[in-house]
Amino acid sequence: MNGSSPLLSAAVLALALLASACGAASSTSLAAEGLPRQDDGWHGLPLEVGRSLPDVTLRTTDGEPFTLTEELTGDPTLLFFGYTSCPDICPVHLAAIASAMETAGVTYEEIDVAFVSVDPERDDPARIEDYLANFSSSMIGLHAELPVIADALSQLDLPGPVVEGEDPRGEGDLIGHPAQVIGFDADGEARRVWPFGARRSDWVDDLPRMVEEWS
Amino acid sequence: MTVAWWCSSTPGQIWTWRYTPFLGVWTVAATLIGGYVVTHRRAGRPLDRALFRRWCLGVLALFVVSEWPLGQLGVGYLASVGVARYVVYTFVAAPLLVSGIPTWMVDRWFPFGTRREQVLTSLTRWPTGLIVFNVVLFGTHLPVVVDTLKVTQLGSFGVDVMHLGAALIWWWPAIRREKARGAIQEPIRAFYLFASSVLMFVPAAFLTFSPLPLYGLYELAPPLWLGFDPTADQQAAGIVMNVVGGFVLWGIIAGLFLSWSREQEAADDLTRRQRDQRTLARMQVMADAEMAANEGSAPTRDG
Repeated sequence: MNGSSPLLSAAVLALALLASACGAASSTSLAAEGLPRQDDGWHGLPLEVGRSLPDVTLRTTDGEPFTLTEELTGDPTLLFFGYTSCPDICPVHLAAIASAMETAGVTYEEIDVAFVSVDPERDDPARIEDYLANFSSSMIGLHAELPVIADALSQLDLPGPVVEGEDPRGEGDLIGHPAQVIGFDADGEARRVWPFGARRSDWVDDLPRMVEEWS
Repeated sequence: MTVAWWCSSTPGQIWTWRYTPFLGVWTVAATLIGGYVVTHRRAGRPLDRALFRRWCLGVLALFVVSEWPLGQLGVGYLASVGVARYVVYTFVAAPLLVSGIPTWMVDRWFPFGTRREQVLTSLTRWPTGLIVFNVVLFGTHLPVVVDTLKVTQLGSFGVDVMHLGAALIWWWPAIRREKARGAIQEPIRAFYLFASSVLMFVPAAFLTFSPLPLYGLYELAPPLWLGFDPTADQQAAGIVMNVVGGFVLWGIIAGLFLSWSREQEAADDLTRRQRDQRTLARMQVMADAEMAANEGSAPTRDG
């Protein structure tokens, strides 16, 4: 390279700098390929240990008592623990399920979708109802005191929620909680789980099978 | 398979409207403009204001879509902004940069007969440009490529470099006017640009009409607002590529075509004027000859 091409050198330097310091990075460290199809055709992962719907009584957004083992049997159920201030996994999961239900032509009469808040301090009934309305008003919003939530999670062999630091959006604390959606058959037996990373296309394949095989 | 079993929000990945300067982008912009000025000074050449303006606008376009917030949104949150960045890189920044380089600078960087010149010439032949542009357009919008490359910072950078590099190669023969360096003329140029604008409809149609999100990266990204729908975002991306990209490109094609037709008209005028002048001169000569002949044969008063 002769001395007359500083701009060319600058361009090369600029590209190298861009690579190392541009700062624009992906929003997710997850590989985004979704859940691969299992040998049995499902995307959701089968549970190796048998678990049933937790035997706890929560409350609906109307304030009515809601015993999971009584109310959620009879139809297949998707159960998810989250909180309305969750900035990423909860809204992505719920949006994916709501959209896939519509695309797959599966109704909320055929599959119950229940959202249990792990943040009783902030998530009052009205807030939970408003939150779920962003996805589908047919989803069941549930809440309870923290020990009841911890008990429900414990019966599923899942750890309870923990405060994980301040939300950078200035909306209080971030709360760590299990990220998987748990699928129960009509008898209330846990059959499969969908960890975060499940995509709409995965749900569109799995939801009709839930109706067909788990009802 | 990489999935999450625990919802543990990573503050660096949650979208906030808090300004985060990307120092690398600032440095790149300053280096490109500074390098341009320094090159002129070292060569003892005055800055051509029109060319310098184009160069600076090209750098500005790169800067705006690479800096926060558009850079961050496009890389990891919104497919529509990701495609808008592609449109700006390809149809705004690249043509401005290519047209902002003076011919003497090209001659200095790529002297005729050198290896560098051979590489440039082979890369910027119009069939090569057409192939490179469309391979990069299609390749970098494939879901598997986006979901593999854009999940890392280096991969995202690689995609941006491919977009800009392919666009520079593609625009070169259409915008540079040095015939010795493979500049193409109308009507091939219009076909060349139009062909790519038509091919662009293919990925745009996939984005617009797919009923499910194609890119896991954008589908699983933290939403900017509740109720945000990645499918609607993807449809917006298709419309941006199709309509905005198409309008910008067709605007440029129209501009280049009008400029060419004005040049042709001016050249025709010049030819016509020269022909008229020659005709007038010939007529003048004939008239003079006739007058001289008349004067020679006319009976004199004394006759």
